[in-house]
Amino acid sequence: MTQAPTSAGNARHVTRLAAEVFGALLTLALSVAIALGARGDGIGWTAGGPEAGTFPFYVGVIVGVASLGNLVVAFRRADRATIFLDAVKAQRIAAFGIPLLLFVGASVLLGFYVATILYLTGVMRVQGRYRWITSIAVAFGCAAFFFVVLEVWFKVPLLKGPLESMLGIH
Amino acid sequence: MENLELLLHGFDVVLTWHHLMLMVVGVLLGILVGVLPGLGAPNGVSLLLPLTFAMDPVAAIILLTSMYWGALFGGSTTSILFNIPGEPSSVATTFDGYPMAKSGHAAQALTLAFMSAAIGALLGVVVITLLSSWVAKFALRFGSPEYFAVYFLAFASFIGLGGASPGKTIVSMGLGLAFATVGMDTISGSLRLTFGFSQLVSGISFLVAVIGLFGIGELLVTMEEGLRFDGLKARISPRAVMEAARMLPRYWLALLRSGSIGCWMGITPGGPTAASFMSYGLAQRFSSRRANFGKGEPEGIISPETADHAAGTSAMLPMLALGVPGSATSAVLLGGLMIWGLNPGPTLFTERPDFVWGLIASMYLGNLVAVALVLTTVPMFAAILRIPFSIIGPIIVVVCFIGAYTVANSTFDLWLAVAFGAAGYLFKKIDYPIAPLVLAMVLGDKAEDAFRQSMIMSRGSISIFWSNGLVATLCALGIVLLLWPVLGRMLRHAVPSRRPADALEE
Repeated sequence: MTQAPTSAGNARHVTRLAAEVFGALLTLALSVAIALGARGDGIGWTAGGPEAGTFPFYVGVIVGVASLGNLVVAFRRADRATIFLDAVKAQRIAAFGIPLLLFVGASVLLGFYVATILYLTGVMRVQGRYRWITSIAVAFGCAAFFFVVLEVWFKVPLLKGPLESMLGIH
Repeated sequence: MENLELLLHGFDVVLTWHHLMLMVVGVLLGILVGVLPGLGAPNGVSLLLPLTFAMDPVAAIILLTSMYWGALFGGSTTSILFNIPGEPSSVATTFDGYPMAKSGHAAQALTLAFMSAAIGALLGVVVITLLSSWVAKFALRFGSPEYFAVYFLAFASFIGLGGASPGKTIVSMGLGLAFATVGMDTISGSLRLTFGFSQLVSGISFLVAVIGLFGIGELLVTMEEGLRFDGLKARISPRAVMEAARMLPRYWLALLRSGSIGCWMGITPGGPTAASFMSYGLAQRFSSRRANFGKGEPEGIISPETADHAAGTSAMLPMLALGVPGSATSAVLLGGLMIWGLNPGPTLFTERPDFVWGLIASMYLGNLVAVALVLTTVPMFAAILRIPFSIIGPIIVVVCFIGAYTVANSTFDLWLAVAFGAAGYLFKKIDYPIAPLVLAMVLGDKAEDAFRQSMIMSRGSISIFWSNGLVATLCALGIVLLLWPVLGRMLRHAVPSRRPADALEE
């Protein structure tokens, strides 16, 4: 996803090999972080048994070894023929992923209800090409549904933002 | 017949209007998440779990398990009508279900699937009824080393029998174990792997991981494919149901075989997906109508469906009796038990018999309720899939993030869910199995505690894991399973056989 597309053939795309290598390097990096982090917690032996870092340290080592193994396997297979991601798919991912990220950001800043209404209205209007009235109706309907089910029925409060506190809803 | 008596007591606990209502609600929600791509049993249950924190455990488990049954049925519906498996475990159902529906027998295909699924599930519950208290009694003799050996066995069988690349399974599982250690260490009280983030002090919730990996990740994969539904119409008439019911006894052998495969794969953590593929493969190999497989052969629907549900149900046995779940969804349920303040494992049978036997009784009832509901509501749920995905998709996104937030009312969890979603997308596309990660996250703390306590008992000597017959046997079994990918290859080279590769090995 994040690596530069290789240019084999005409279209720009990411090969399966690149994705496999990226995956293996990612888990390798995580394993190093886990092992180093755990070593800081102590991996020795005390009167109370193994120190806190022991178990995660060895888990990190095992994940690291397995990641290296996966890396070797990926290079031995060298699957350049299978396309992991091409331009069309990348576009679809972006069309879905970017509004999703905006929604999460808006939720944190404005609360869930406002973010839900903005997100659903926006996606339906821009991507679904629905009329304004339909988009807004569906968005408000959903927000109202969540409010009734969660706040009223299950008594689970959701994150609220400045608008709700202005209106006095808690 | 002590079990029968306890079971009757369980029915006594379950048979209240409140519980039956919850069953209906759970099944309907389950069918919904099963039908919708991007939502499945594991994250459906994860989404609902935070809402049950304040509920009575019996009521909560009925709601959640009913949702599980409903999701299993819902997954088969889309496999047959849309050729889109709603659940990974119903992929094998598409092979013959969709062709049969396409040739104009949609109602029969659905009815056959539902009925054989119900038979599979009932077989699974019968196995649980007969074996669970025996397994629990046996497990009462377990100490820390034995428990660690059982966890090791569960992890090893994923690596050896899971069907995915062993290296990838180890990575996935190891990451799960590492995520489980993040936050406050329960034994020493020190903070681990928080890397200075105060939000990580309370740990990473497996629920957030499931919602991200299964929910967001699955959605990304689905969206990338540019989802289009070409659904077949389904109207189930009573006559079609009768016809299918009359056909079923003819396939008693397939039902029995698939049920046994399912129960076995459910109890050992092979899981429903592997069970359904294996059952389909075996049915194809032994059928006299082999040529008809893939073109709408009823046995090709019955076999995977029976195995899928038998495995899904019997996965509850090790979860209840040992505290070791056999599938991703039962791992989530196990996490739920701990959140409700129950202590899963053999002591649960003596401490909370009403809960255990109420749950088992609810499985009988829940599956019957599920069949009845799914037969009557299929047209409605099929209609949901005709709503354009540009509406349904974002709504699922909203549901997922609300679910992630309600776990701990933390906005940090939202970003964690995004990260897990991206990881889930990558993992799914390059064939890293996700279920082991979830299993490891749920079991991580318990496995680590068992390991540390064993080490304290033995003063640091690893020989405690073969210090008596029981623990040595468990460990030896685990090592055999762990080495199975290597051993299996060696055996195949030594004995050149004509055996075709198992469906599992795909």
